[in-house]
Amino acid sequence: MIKLLRKEIQLAASPLSYFFIGFGLMAFVPGYPILVGSFFVCLGLFQSFQTAREANDLTYTALLPVAKRDVVRAKYAFCCFIEICYFTLTGAVTLIRMTLLSNAAVYRNNVLMNANLVYLAFVLLILGLFNAIFVGGFFQTAYKFAKPFVKFIIAAFAVVGLGETLFHIPGLAALNAFGFAHMGLQLGILALGILLFSGLTVLSKHRAMRNFERIDL
Amino acid sequence: MPLCEIKNLRKTYPSFTLTDLSFQLNAGQIVGFIGRNGAGKTTTIKSMLGLIHPDGGEVCYFGLPFWGHEEEIKQRIGYSTGAVNYYPKKKIRNIVSVTKTFFSAWDDGAYREYLSLFALDEDKTPSELSEGMKVKLNLLLALSHRAEMLILDEPTSGLDPFSRDELLDLFAELKRRGVAVLFSTHITSDIEKCADDILYIRDGKLVANCSMDDFIKNCCEDGESLEDAILRMERGVRA
Repeated sequence: MIKLLRKEIQLAASPLSYFFIGFGLMAFVPGYPILVGSFFVCLGLFQSFQTAREANDLTYTALLPVAKRDVVRAKYAFCCFIEICYFTLTGAVTLIRMTLLSNAAVYRNNVLMNANLVYLAFVLLILGLFNAIFVGGFFQTAYKFAKPFVKFIIAAFAVVGLGETLFHIPGLAALNAFGFAHMGLQLGILALGILLFSGLTVLSKHRAMRNFERIDL
Repeated sequence: MPLCEIKNLRKTYPSFTLTDLSFQLNAGQIVGFIGRNGAGKTTTIKSMLGLIHPDGGEVCYFGLPFWGHEEEIKQRIGYSTGAVNYYPKKKIRNIVSVTKTFFSAWDDGAYREYLSLFALDEDKTPSELSEGMKVKLNLLLALSHRAEMLILDEPTSGLDPFSRDELLDLFAELKRRGVAVLFSTHITSDIEKCADDILYIRDGKLVANCSMDDFIKNCCEDGESLEDAILRMERGVRA
């Protein structure tokens, strides 16, 4: 698996996949729907799938002495690697906003989503949806990726919309807590986000392995 | 024990059927797989490599069924196709440095030898290579892990006559080293030059599976060349 991950990084990946990790810093931007940053990292991953398809990556990999299901595992491993890098970066920015910048006026006066643990849970949900809808959808054919990506865009922006509106509903303002306020709620929702990301990724990976096994290349 | 044994291989597409193909390859044997475009050569080869799923039949290498022993079998065989171009914008050096990590028997000495023989520049990318040089690059990757058997899909397509001649000489050298070679082609002179045996496929059916000598004795009429005999047989079917 390490060898295949190395192959993904050195041969198949688009440089844009690495570039968009930097969009984790967008959580610093005041008055901006910061969840959109997680869409951009998925856009970078989409570029890698496009680059890999143009380079006949799947056929090359299928001819290496690896099991066909490992080809799918490697793609998921690469996506998770980029996603974890992004999550680590945006998580670090979130922690800075929750601690050092929790009282900064530009963030206190922000009417949009605040960077807190609930935000991180929404990030994980978007990344999990990318793995389930796009990566899983791609491995139904191992060739077509436009339709799964359009489906992912719709789902991702629905989640962004949900994240930006939920805390405006009376009684749910705590979702947009500053700093360490409502920590129990924030931690609970982050745990739910981790569960959703893991569940969506693992279940779609198993389905993708079954689908890819059946495909004629 | 044959290196590769195919029994009753079948695959049906809406407009094409591969029907009960059976043949085998032994160490040091060169087999030319001939047939017109669309006859089923690539379908057969892809089925042998697990790239497509046959509807029936058996594919065994070294006495082991392919499905279930895919990884260890791929360590011992090499595949190349003249048509596919992998990672066109990556340097050959980088493609090789990744590829070699997958093969336990990768031989850097053999790699250097073939690199020099094929006059390939490691700092070039596949997109900078001519069609013939791309074929050589694919062959280089297949040969450098000491494959006991090579499966080559139209390796001479796009090669100039000199490169084709060099490649066919290389097959003869590989044969001396005990490597089995199965190569598909629609160029009869390639087969005449180096094949021990011929597999002739027409409309998804194997119509000849014999030694070159037997094929010429049984199918070529009064001094007829191999090409003329095959053309006559094809025209007879189409008429």
